[in-house]
Amino acid sequence: MNLRDKPLLRDRLAAEYVLGTLKGQARRRFEGYLHGDAVLRRLVADWQDRLVPMAELAPPRQPPRRVWRGIARRLNLEEARPGWQFWRSESLNFWRALGGVSTLAALLLVAVLAGGVFERPQPDFLATLADDKAQPALLLSADSGRGRMTVTFVGEMSLAADRSLQLWAVPRQGSPRSLGILAAQGTTTLDLTGAALGADIAMLAVSLEPRGGSPDPNGPSGPILYKGNWMRVL
Amino acid sequence: MSDPHSPDPAELRTWLLGAARRDAAAFRRLYDATSPRLYGFALRMLGKPELAEEALQDGFVAIWDNAGSYDSTLAAPLTWMTTIVRNKALDLLRHSSHALEIDAGRFDSEVLEATRDAGATPADALAMSRDARKLAWCLSTLEGMQRQVLGLAFFHDFSHSEVAQQLALPLGTVKTWIRRSLERLKTCLAKGELP
Repeated sequence: MNLRDKPLLRDRLAAEYVLGTLKGQARRRFEGYLHGDAVLRRLVADWQDRLVPMAELAPPRQPPRRVWRGIARRLNLEEARPGWQFWRSESLNFWRALGGVSTLAALLLVAVLAGGVFERPQPDFLATLADDKAQPALLLSADSGRGRMTVTFVGEMSLAADRSLQLWAVPRQGSPRSLGILAAQGTTTLDLTGAALGADIAMLAVSLEPRGGSPDPNGPSGPILYKGNWMRVL
Repeated sequence: MSDPHSPDPAELRTWLLGAARRDAAAFRRLYDATSPRLYGFALRMLGKPELAEEALQDGFVAIWDNAGSYDSTLAAPLTWMTTIVRNKALDLLRHSSHALEIDAGRFDSEVLEATRDAGATPADALAMSRDARKLAWCLSTLEGMQRQVLGLAFFHDFSHSEVAQQLALPLGTVKTWIRRSLERLKTCLAKGELP
């Protein structure tokens, strides 16, 4: 049978092919026509556009986490995580090193306080952000009473003019939240919001971004330079 | 005009092209944005969570494997992905020994629910793309039984004769209804704006 000069039949078969009621031998024959007939493929695509949204009438449901884990395992995606999920694949060494950093942070705080960097600070949270060799680079001090936080570079940091450093709070689940852009030298004062101090914060991180910050609202676009976490200060 | 909770097709397309370049982070975002509705759909088709999970997993493995052949001029990203998940669900359906529980009335209530004032059911209405709301509206203009015939065929992969058996209708009637319903849908969808 020649389908080409039967436009109504072609459209009807395309519709029933997409709906699923074209079955068996007739379905296989139709698929045979599809191979050599771009116009017929277009008709099928048009019917898919019309009928497939029917799928959305079923109420959405969150699939269990094991579904994604199964997909990642089958496709070997374990190593290829989003850049900001670095801690998931990192060894214990980083955390051990961070333990050492925390001790150092307390010493740093004393040093900074003595140096008078903060104006009448009453910080209740403190964090030291370290580079990948666990060398402390930044000191964060949060004063939840005043709703302010200060970020101070410990050493020198050279930054190209077209780049910015962006501070992030990375929650245990969901996307990192931007806390602000940092001045490359000295101290930056930022508003302290709930996004920065929530109980679900797994990590604080600083990423290198294009000037003005990450173009991606859901997380860093550049490499993570420094990371660490809050400690409560009495 | 805006679909605040339904994924932006341009964004989905970007992530799908990312997956084609083997960008696992883009693929993960694609999964996060679309898996609830694709899982809901698979659950609706297969009835059993363990089967729906398998269909979703098989579907996303195929989406990753075939992302390179996705043609954005031929299909919207969600349509393409839904078709893949549907085919995986149908494979499972054919090879499964589970008896499928058919609830023909459910499709009807879903259609009518979807056509209600968006203000009355904000969460569900907003989770739906404009295409789906339009389709729901056009389906609602069909007679109840003619609507159910389409629902049974689409969600359960029924043949003409299986639909006839399920609804206790003559085969000729089912064939005619399907043909007319599809024609009416096409005309209604071509009209453009939502009422």
